[in-house]
Amino acid sequence: MQIFEYNGSAVVAMVGKNCFAIASDRRLGVQLQTIATDFQRISKIHDHLFIGLSGLATDVQTLYQRLVFRHKLYQLREERDMKPETFASLVSAILYEKRFGPYLCQPVIAGLGDDNKPFICTMDSIGAKELAKDFVVSGTASESLYGACEAMFKPDMEAEELFETISQALLSSVDRDCLSGWGGHVYVVTPNEIKEKILKGRMD
Amino acid sequence: MKLDTSGFETSVPTIGFGSSSDMLDELSSVPSFDLPHTKEFDGFQKKAVDMLKHAKGTTTLAFIFKGGVMVAADSRASMGGYISSQSVKKIIEINPYMLGTMAGGAADCQFWHRNLGIKCRLHELANKRRISVSGASKLLANMLYSYRGMGLSVGTMIAGWDETGPGLYYVDNEGGRLKGDRFSVGSGSPYAYGVLDSGYKYEMSVEEASELARRSIYHATFRDGASGGVASVYHVGPEGWTKLSGDDVGELHYHYYPVPPAIAEQVMEEATTE
Repeated sequence: MQIFEYNGSAVVAMVGKNCFAIASDRRLGVQLQTIATDFQRISKIHDHLFIGLSGLATDVQTLYQRLVFRHKLYQLREERDMKPETFASLVSAILYEKRFGPYLCQPVIAGLGDDNKPFICTMDSIGAKELAKDFVVSGTASESLYGACEAMFKPDMEAEELFETISQALLSSVDRDCLSGWGGHVYVVTPNEIKEKILKGRMD
Repeated sequence: MKLDTSGFETSVPTIGFGSSSDMLDELSSVPSFDLPHTKEFDGFQKKAVDMLKHAKGTTTLAFIFKGGVMVAADSRASMGGYISSQSVKKIIEINPYMLGTMAGGAADCQFWHRNLGIKCRLHELANKRRISVSGASKLLANMLYSYRGMGLSVGTMIAGWDETGPGLYYVDNEGGRLKGDRFSVGSGSPYAYGVLDSGYKYEMSVEEASELARRSIYHATFRDGASGGVASVYHVGPEGWTKLSGDDVGELHYHYYPVPPAIAEQVMEEATTE
């Protein structure tokens, strides 16, 4: 199997009305064998900015640690949090630095920008940004996720409905993928709070 | 083990200047076959065969115990990473007292099991008695041996009850045939063996054996990415086979490992984090 499919992953982010949701599966595998069912793929950068990384698990963890480091330096110098658009450019630059020996991950960035306007974007493993107004997907289940999101997404959903939609899209897509699933992890972020939920999915 | 060579005979005679002469007619009856137009004659067949070779992404198991033979399998079909179906019948009913399991190429297994069923019935009609499990598995093994190297992918277990009692044989596409008490075939087999071997006792009752089989399949579907769907369990006794259960492994997980109910009033699809 290809190197991007070595560990298996599924990440999706969706935009709602002044809120966003980001979700991932929880499986860590070594090709077909499942090693863990509680792997963290989505991480918080600050209260209004989350990054989900799909692809090779070792690069997911290392890249996350590097990004947290860069963001903390920024916070020290600028005395404020990074805007999501700026953070996306930072990630893109860090990935392109390794153009000829890349990090084998595809990040999904989701955040609330100025005036609490939700921002989502995804990138390939060498930093090509893809901004979207509705949803972005990445991982081994990405093709199924595209289909499910396209069918279920509606613009301007409130936080409750957004949670239901993104959960259904994630669970039905990973049920068609051997390498991802075994539960789900969803974050729904509004200007005032972050709701974190774990989904009960099929464990096969 | 006579190979079917009817493919060699072409309808058009190969030599044909003036086809009226006798000598030319004799020559034109030599069997020959059309050579394929390809640059790489030596390697292309192996490449074509490798393209079709599916890894045996499945979990099947069977074991003999005091009450007969227990046969169980999952129901997932995968093409690489994509799950093409969650509801494949992997336990094939060859005849009312013999079962075969499917691992490897689905088409190969379905065809050759049906072919075996036909041969078993012909044996019954010709000899006025049922074929033994040993005989049936030998028929299948010999058929598969004659197609060795041609890219068939079959990893099957033949389980049945005949005059000598319960019988279980493992047959694969290399032509191998093994008699045994416990087998598991497929990518999930190491996980199934772990549970099966530690829980196995010859003196089990039918209920205990079926629970062991179901649990083994469930554990294999949990760990193996290419196994999943529904765990079916069949029992072969002196009167023939019966299907005991077909449980969805997604639900079996929460049956074996229930999640403590959340205190909050939130709705569906939510579990407390640890």
